[in-house]
Amino acid sequence: MTIAWGDFLTVIVASLVAASLLVTLFSLGLRFGDGTAPWRKTASVAMFVLCGLLVAVGIFLIVPALHSAVLG
Amino acid sequence: MVALVIVLALLFDFTNGFHDTANAMATPIATGALKPKTAVLLAAVLNFVGAFLSTEVAKTISGGLINEGEAGVVFGPELIFAGLVGAILWNLFTWLLGLPSSSSHALFGGLIGAAVVGASLNAGSIDFAIINGGVFVTKILIPAALAPLTAGVVAFIATKIAFAITRKRERDGFKRGQIFTSSLVSLAHGTNDAQKTMGVITLALIAANMQEAGTGPSILVIAGCALAIAAGTYSGGWRIIKTLGKGITDVEPAQGFAAEAATTATILASSTVGFALSTTQVASGSVIGTGLGRKGASVRWRTAGRIAAGWVITIPAAAIVSGIAAFAVSSGFWGIIGVAVAAAAAILGIFLYSRRSKVDHRSFHQPEPGVFVAPKPRRAKKPKRAPKPLQVKAKQQPKKSSKKKSKKGKK
Repeated sequence: MTIAWGDFLTVIVASLVAASLLVTLFSLGLRFGDGTAPWRKTASVAMFVLCGLLVAVGIFLIVPALHSAVLG
Repeated sequence: MVALVIVLALLFDFTNGFHDTANAMATPIATGALKPKTAVLLAAVLNFVGAFLSTEVAKTISGGLINEGEAGVVFGPELIFAGLVGAILWNLFTWLLGLPSSSSHALFGGLIGAAVVGASLNAGSIDFAIINGGVFVTKILIPAALAPLTAGVVAFIATKIAFAITRKRERDGFKRGQIFTSSLVSLAHGTNDAQKTMGVITLALIAANMQEAGTGPSILVIAGCALAIAAGTYSGGWRIIKTLGKGITDVEPAQGFAAEAATTATILASSTVGFALSTTQVASGSVIGTGLGRKGASVRWRTAGRIAAGWVITIPAAAIVSGIAAFAVSSGFWGIIGVAVAAAAAILGIFLYSRRSKVDHRSFHQPEPGVFVAPKPRRAKKPKRAPKPLQVKAKQQPKKSSKKKSKKGKK
């Protein structure tokens, strides 16, 4: 019986990084959206777009038909 | 017999759906990001879609855990039937208690119990060798312990980040984000959980020689499972949603977003690496973690403890129920009928009992900010509140008025 500790570690680190990134981006998007300076609007939208990309990666990982070709 | 197994498998899929609506939709409902009805509809549609997206995992349900072949039991439809009975009954029982327990564990427990009893009857003595201990520990036990911990830690940190970056007046925006993250959880759930039932039905069909061994589930089986899990999701396990969304801790939109993000990330990371974590346990861990992460929020550890206790006994309890069922089934035709009747009676009993304290989508009514809320009529409270001297006075008044009062109280 071998326990794949490495895999568990991968899971923990990966989910930590992904979730933190998503929350950070979304929070920054909200933070930048709150203000009148013109650059804020752009920055806010950029953050939300990055968020959307991250979600797209999530869907990519959920749907086997999409990722099986790449990940094997 | 095969027909009976298929019906039961679909029934299990249904209970799985309504048991697990809470995973994705408890926090958005609790924060008011989605209206309860909209939330379950969204979850149902995504579960339906998710069920069609993948059929790869369907066979892992039987693969490895139970030693099949010459040394093991022939895993016939009778034993699958017994396993399903245990899984369904346990799922309904935990739903009655409002416990978010893992449907997958109920299914595994049920199948294990049936297999052990089946093997023991064959060998004439109690026989645990049928269970592949190593697979059991690495694929079920360790992930079960690790899943809520991981999700909890991730949710804790994500919550801290969200609260550190945003100011209070900006945090309502998280509600919109919650819709997307909870949708992701639903989709992931659909791709994972409908699979299990497909696997069971396919296993039964193969065992009955109605399908060639080594083939995947047919399109009819996929469609049936997708429908069953979607219908179950739509009917909404409001009791569990209540426990997860309101029972453990009070969830704010930012917390809900952080928790959902943690849930999604953990599920995706683990399924990509290749082991199946229980969606339910991940979601519960996230909610606890996010409760710890916000200053001033308190986690109700009694509720959390009840949930954890539920997790520990899920596998043995489902195993015992289906073990008994397997024992009865082995006595032949009348045993099968007896188990079916007993199971139907138990299901009916649980439903009747559940009506005593109804929890449905109306329990989550959340007035929009700014909407005028009509004050509740006070008549219900009057008789309780009235202090004693007042009652004495009322008695002294002429009879007619007191009668009116009592009538009002009844209304």
